[in-house]
Amino acid sequence: MISSVFHRVTRTRLALHYAHLLSTSATQVVKHSIYVSKSTNPYFNLSLEDWLFKHKPHNDPLLLLYRDDPCVVIGRNQNPWKEVNMTELRGVGIPFIRRRSGGGTVYHDLGNSNFSIHLPRSSFDRNDSAKVVLRAIQSLGLTDANVNERNDVCVGRFKICFPHFERMIVNKRAYHHGTMLISSELGTLGKLLNSNKDTMQTKGVASVRSPVCNLRQHKPDISHEDFVYAVVREFQDHYNIRETIKWVDEGSDCEGIEEIRKGMHELTTWDWAFGQTPEFTYTLEHTFGWGTLKTNLHSKHGIILSCTFDIVDLVDRGGISEVRGHLDLLERSLAGEKYGFLEDEANPKELTGSESARQLWDELVKEMKS
Amino acid sequence: MGPNMFAVRTLTTKKYTEDHEAVVFDDSTGIGVVSITDYAQSSLGDVVFVELPALETKVTKGDQIGAVESVKAASDIYAPISGTIQEINENLNDQPGLLNKSPEDEGWLCKIKVSDPTELDSLMDEAEYKAHCES
Repeated sequence: MISSVFHRVTRTRLALHYAHLLSTSATQVVKHSIYVSKSTNPYFNLSLEDWLFKHKPHNDPLLLLYRDDPCVVIGRNQNPWKEVNMTELRGVGIPFIRRRSGGGTVYHDLGNSNFSIHLPRSSFDRNDSAKVVLRAIQSLGLTDANVNERNDVCVGRFKICFPHFERMIVNKRAYHHGTMLISSELGTLGKLLNSNKDTMQTKGVASVRSPVCNLRQHKPDISHEDFVYAVVREFQDHYNIRETIKWVDEGSDCEGIEEIRKGMHELTTWDWAFGQTPEFTYTLEHTFGWGTLKTNLHSKHGIILSCTFDIVDLVDRGGISEVRGHLDLLERSLAGEKYGFLEDEANPKELTGSESARQLWDELVKEMKS
Repeated sequence: MGPNMFAVRTLTTKKYTEDHEAVVFDDSTGIGVVSITDYAQSSLGDVVFVELPALETKVTKGDQIGAVESVKAASDIYAPISGTIQEINENLNDQPGLLNKSPEDEGWLCKIKVSDPTELDSLMDEAEYKAHCES
């Protein structure tokens, strides 16, 4: 019932505002203060968030609410191979996306609602925006919700709101982004965010794991729309804003905005998604029928800087110089290749006849794609 | 004629941007050393990662050349002046905390071979920057 009312309201508002679009594209001034995206395309929503952040006048608060189709979102300075189980990710057929703000990795699906509150630096207080969200869910009947000392919104000891990420322009403006778990697939989340790569040592930023639960476990009938309207009400009250929601969608509303279109494209490029990866090393040990090898990978910006092999054990010790020769060839050809994107052409031609070299190659390809 | 007649006179100039980058320009080498200001590091809090530009990149004043991620936030760094990236501070890869400890000295970000020193004229001097931070 609530949901059908919501859709009617949506259509009316869209019809009314259709001609106004998101902004006056010539001047690129963000006119409104409360935006809700109708799109569930994560590439669009992340680029919209960034665009609003950059173009809203510095002194005005802004609220954006949206939800995304299933995807994994990693922090700007994280290592996707460390954060994400790529094999599982391919299995469920969803993308990972590197966002422009810092922080850790989260899983998005239609069961969680994202909010970002943009404020001038001078009035920026994490606790303040956490309280807006807290009051919103309390108003929906979750009276025992609380904010812990790290400003996470919790019910009991479980977080219902993922860690908050912020992005700022020093001294001017910052945004506070959070994800409210309403009915998210927590099982999928656990599987996708467990990469099991203990021997991968990475620079950059690690994620912090926290016990989480869904709002629906506490209140079974709560919906994304309920959450949206509750946060909007609290935001209006708290910042004394009279205007109503500006609904936006991909396409008609934003297609004239070059920066959003470019931002969406950039998120899909290798340079951004993989090439932005901080330096890391990865040590592996493989046992084959012919022996055991230790592999030492060193990568930066998604490129293999070096890959060296140590022979730990060899069944036929007499063949050691030939094996070493093969490994040297392989070491030379792997340096400079893209991590995780090994093409057969990078496999030295001299080794194509060797079954043991083939086994090693296949293992390396598999490991780097995992 | 004193012995100093042929000594090279060098002049270093320190200028600031509104986005809290600083550049120290040496007119004898044409090199500008870029850093974030002490004010910026204290607003950011503990820095956990510094993203630096690639060597030999040609940059125009105002281009994004990197980013700083702290425990609180990620913040972009913009080129205070146009030129070519000649050196980056590799120590920041292992010690991002240098930005907190010594932002305008040991925590320098990169050196730019400046293409047009007159651009410095449009940046703030120390007194103007101080006023900017207090505004």
